[in-house]
Amino acid sequence: MSIIEVKNLKKSFGPLEVLKDISINIEKGDIVAILGPSGSGKSTFLRSLIDLEEIDAGDICIEGSYLVKNGVYPSEKEKRKILLKTGMVFQHFNLFPHLNIKKNLMLAPLLAKQDTKENIEALARETLEKVGLSDKMDVMPSTLSGGQKQRVAIARALMLRPDIVLFDEPTSALDPELTGEVLNVIRNLAKEGNTMLIVTHEVGFASEVANKVVFMEDGYIQAVGSPDEVIRNQTNERINAFLNKVK
Amino acid sequence: MSDIASWVSQMLVGCKLTIELFAVTLVFSIPLGLILSFVRTAKCPKNTLGRVLYCCVEWIVSGFILIMRGTPLMLQIFFVYFGLPYVPVIGPYLTFDRFPAGAVAFVLNYGAYYAEIFRGGLLSVDKGQYEASKVLGLTSMQTKFRIVMPQMIRIALPSVANETIILLKDTALVTAIGLSELLKVTTNIVNRTTNISAFAVAAVFYLIFSYILTVIFRKLENKFDF
Ligand SMILES: Nc1ncnc2c1ncn2[C@@H]1O[C@H](COP(=O)(O)OP(=O)(O)OP(=O)(O)O)[C@@H](O)[C@H]1O
Ligand SMILES: [Mg+2]
Repeated sequence: MSIIEVKNLKKSFGPLEVLKDISINIEKGDIVAILGPSGSGKSTFLRSLIDLEEIDAGDICIEGSYLVKNGVYPSEKEKRKILLKTGMVFQHFNLFPHLNIKKNLMLAPLLAKQDTKENIEALARETLEKVGLSDKMDVMPSTLSGGQKQRVAIARALMLRPDIVLFDEPTSALDPELTGEVLNVIRNLAKEGNTMLIVTHEVGFASEVANKVVFMEDGYIQAVGSPDEVIRNQTNERINAFLNKVK
Repeated sequence: MSDIASWVSQMLVGCKLTIELFAVTLVFSIPLGLILSFVRTAKCPKNTLGRVLYCCVEWIVSGFILIMRGTPLMLQIFFVYFGLPYVPVIGPYLTFDRFPAGAVAFVLNYGAYYAEIFRGGLLSVDKGQYEASKVLGLTSMQTKFRIVMPQMIRIALPSVANETIILLKDTALVTAIGLSELLKVTTNIVNRTTNISAFAVAAVFYLIFSYILTVIFRKLENKFDF
């Protein structure tokens, strides 16, 4: 069984058909890079997987449970249960500005009664260490650099021990010299066997880290395969034109 | 000098009423404003019944705020005290004494103003905050109280401080229905003694209260500065 199964997904914003017919299976441990021109629906697709967008038709099945089947969603409670194992990292970090880093990390697991407070705090410490920010436990988000904020955001997503992590252009809001530290964190996560979907314009990073590359355009998945197939030995002219442009 | 001492002791009685009205208004109008602002920023539900209900509530709340902000507070005080008892059927149950009548008008009026201030604050909270809360599994209640409210309060505080100082001075309006608050007591003293320096003493009282409010709000603003 695939960890994520998407079948005939369709999504419009009013008259604008953004996702026309998307089907894809993602296996446990896959690192999927999603490439494509601006406006091709990459974010919309990723956001559909975690219920930030409601799709119009099709199925999304996560770890064997239907988040949506034939365009019909289950109850809020059911959805919440299915999505418990999916985390997301945003382009603009979306840290909670009124909470210090420790509280940013601990809030969700505390509210979900995931563990005792002591254990959650220990986990926060450990997770921050993993992203190289153990000295930032008690500072406010406003004092961090962009790269540090994004690493905290990744740590926050990991606190709920997700099986799947979605990244929507995690380095696009960063100065070029700060992207490296964030990509390194993601690279390390990839080695740990997490399932990850990463929308990115960093083609080099995608071909290095991903085992599966998806190219989206005009609301369809135009190509899917290994980095060798989709990036290095691409014969389709339009895809090559795009790859050359972002490189 | 003993004159001033006797004025001050009379004025303190007026101050008590001013402060009571101020406090009652603050305690009730802020929660009222919060609730109204939540209603006005709520998203329309998808099912039909929810949508109808939503539209009705939305319409009532908008109408209420329009009336409260669009007519003079003085008129509203008169209406609650003199007008409500004449309302058919329920009128007899809406007969208030002077103080409760004034308080009801103030709470409704300031509730409407605070609601608009809070609504402005709610609208300026980034939608990424709601999305982050959702993907972290927070319920909508948890999101509202743990994430949105603290950020809304920071944005709203300067306007709330402003409005609250206006409230302090507006309390003088209840003179119109015969309540002896600070300014009324002062006017009485001036009329009796034909000495207008009592007004200066009243001004000092108002200034002291305003100053205290300013200090409190400055403290709050520092607390919500992140
Ligand atoms: N909430 C929305 N309402 C209306 N249109 C939207 C909404 N969100 C996205 N769109 C439109 O849907 C299309 C796809 O958007 P999407 O953000 O998924 O593209 P993308 O591939 O992520 O692009 P980018 O690389 O620029 O991030 C765009 O034309 C966009 O304008
Ligand atoms: Mg996007």
